[in-house]
Amino acid sequence: MNKTYDVVIVGAGVIGTSCAYHLVKKGFQVALVEKKDLARETSSHCDAVALIPDKMPGIDAAMGYASIQRFKELEKELNYDFEFHQNGSLHLCETDQEMEIATKYANDLIAEGYAIDILNPEELLEKEPFLATDLKGGLFSHECCGVNPYKLCFAFVDAVQGKGLDVYTHTTVTDIRRDADNNVVGVETDNGILKTNKVVNCCGVWAPEIGKMVGIDIPIKPRKGVILISGAGFPICKQKIHEFGYMVSKFDDIQCERDPEVEKYNVAFTIEPSAGNNVLIGSSRNFDGYDVDAEIDIIRVIAKRAVRFFPILKNINCIRSYAGVRPFIEEHLPLITHVKEIPGYYIAAGHEGDGISMAPLTGRLISEMIAGEEPCMDVTPFSFSRYK
Amino acid sequence: MKLSETGILTKADLVEMGRYPSEERMKKGPVAVAECVQDIPCNPCETACPFKAIHIGENISNLPKIDVNKCNGCTTCVSACSGLAIFVLDKSYSDSYGKVTFPYEYNHSFKVDDIVKAANRGGKHVCEGKILKITNTQKADRTTVITLEVPIEYVDEVRSIYRDKQHQSSKEEIMSEKLADDVLVCRCEEITAGEIREAIRQGATDITGVKLRTRAGMGLCQGRTCEALVNQIIRQELGNSPADIGFSTPRTPQRPVTFGTLGGDLDE
Repeated sequence: MNKTYDVVIVGAGVIGTSCAYHLVKKGFQVALVEKKDLARETSSHCDAVALIPDKMPGIDAAMGYASIQRFKELEKELNYDFEFHQNGSLHLCETDQEMEIATKYANDLIAEGYAIDILNPEELLEKEPFLATDLKGGLFSHECCGVNPYKLCFAFVDAVQGKGLDVYTHTTVTDIRRDADNNVVGVETDNGILKTNKVVNCCGVWAPEIGKMVGIDIPIKPRKGVILISGAGFPICKQKIHEFGYMVSKFDDIQCERDPEVEKYNVAFTIEPSAGNNVLIGSSRNFDGYDVDAEIDIIRVIAKRAVRFFPILKNINCIRSYAGVRPFIEEHLPLITHVKEIPGYYIAAGHEGDGISMAPLTGRLISEMIAGEEPCMDVTPFSFSRYK
Repeated sequence: MKLSETGILTKADLVEMGRYPSEERMKKGPVAVAECVQDIPCNPCETACPFKAIHIGENISNLPKIDVNKCNGCTTCVSACSGLAIFVLDKSYSDSYGKVTFPYEYNHSFKVDDIVKAANRGGKHVCEGKILKITNTQKADRTTVITLEVPIEYVDEVRSIYRDKQHQSSKEEIMSEKLADDVLVCRCEEITAGEIREAIRQGATDITGVKLRTRAGMGLCQGRTCEALVNQIIRQELGNSPADIGFSTPRTPQRPVTFGTLGGDLDE
């Protein structure tokens, strides 16, 4: 396998496969190196929605919106069906206080031009008849969409494999080679050496390991999320739904009173219909290393929250659970960046729960940076130099 | 010994329930008996009978009633019964021998005129029997129907052929058999062998790779039923070792549990 490539990408999750796709589209010869197989970790242990009302107004929401637009294009561009669907999303408010915060927050997003409706309890029940009847209201966002996360990875690879992209699965990167001036010159694997001047670290929660190989400290931590699957054979809900408390579990700076029982695992109710005619129910966020066990304690709290919002679930079976680790980063902003100190070393990681929705844009930005073009949006906030 | 004591149905049980044809009727010629004693919601026998001799009615959990005067023992219902519970009995054949017709859904290599070990309802070898007829029609959807000649005193007992090792295909034969593309491999998600082969062509090399591309193994049984077949197909297509093919990941809960039970104390 001792070949030469323009770019070597490490990690074949949704970020790595998107970078591969966008780089090949710019004419580069690309190698995608993956320790296991395509989409085997975080990208197949998650739910997959591209949302606006879970983003902070400003750059975060702008990226969410841009990603949704890009998914619409990709659906036409890629031949492989990744189950794109755009049917909006709901955010539910349990208390008057939450509704107050949600209204203010929604108005900020509306002021930025996003299509969001503020719903009263009656309007909420019209949209979702199986909801609990004591909710105080909610937000409906028209633009929100969903995809199948691992099929998106397959779609990116399918489009360019053999046409500029070579995929090396079951191949472990052991070192990044540099010359005397610290320039990247190659990627060492357990299967041989790939010569290249550019390497992109797309390893998500494992990005710090690939960072250590060049002596940099990437401050990404694994944050676990648990999801439950129902066995229902009829549609319980029509769209993606979240409790507004989800915002609180994502951003600690939104202040809101929460049930102490759900506080420990940062549990916030989410539900979405799947292609298999069951529903995915989440979610939790807690730090537990790289462990991906769905612990019964977390399952119980999620189930309890689920029945609170959808009482009909009480008699519906849970058939499966799973957990994945998301690449958490303190600032809630990913790293999409060249590392100046090590010319030719790029990072695209740290998207936490937004990896799927931000993958298309991330791939595009990395391809523009490597091609030496002006990036389509300001990338300063994603720069590694923010840690200096 | 009866059903309530051994778990195995007997003629005495059926006679008591009034569900067994009379000696007189069996001596006149072939007649069907539905050895179906559970209120299962199921009625293909009723619609299958060309002589309208089987009645279930509006409530499909009713047990089938066979009108022995309308029934001529044609055996259509034998392959139609998904519970494999209908047989055709004939004591008119000769003074010392009778005929039993039953469904047989195992792989086999039997031929007409073979002398085989006849088995009773409990699967035990009770006497020898001669195969008179083997049918496997398109309409029967691959259910083989076998007619056996047995000593007349065993007509009320014999319901199948003893599963002798020599009459079974070997493990190697079964594992090397290539499933047709239209065979349903994952029953929960309704995924065919052809769809699994397509996933392998797309790059899947193991159980998880097939699962992500097709949903095979994502259903109610979590792959317990289909995993061995998926493994077999991957091995046939790629020659991968079992270690490379791997297993599906066990996920909690092992059996479906309601969200209410998981959430606990919801009424308080």
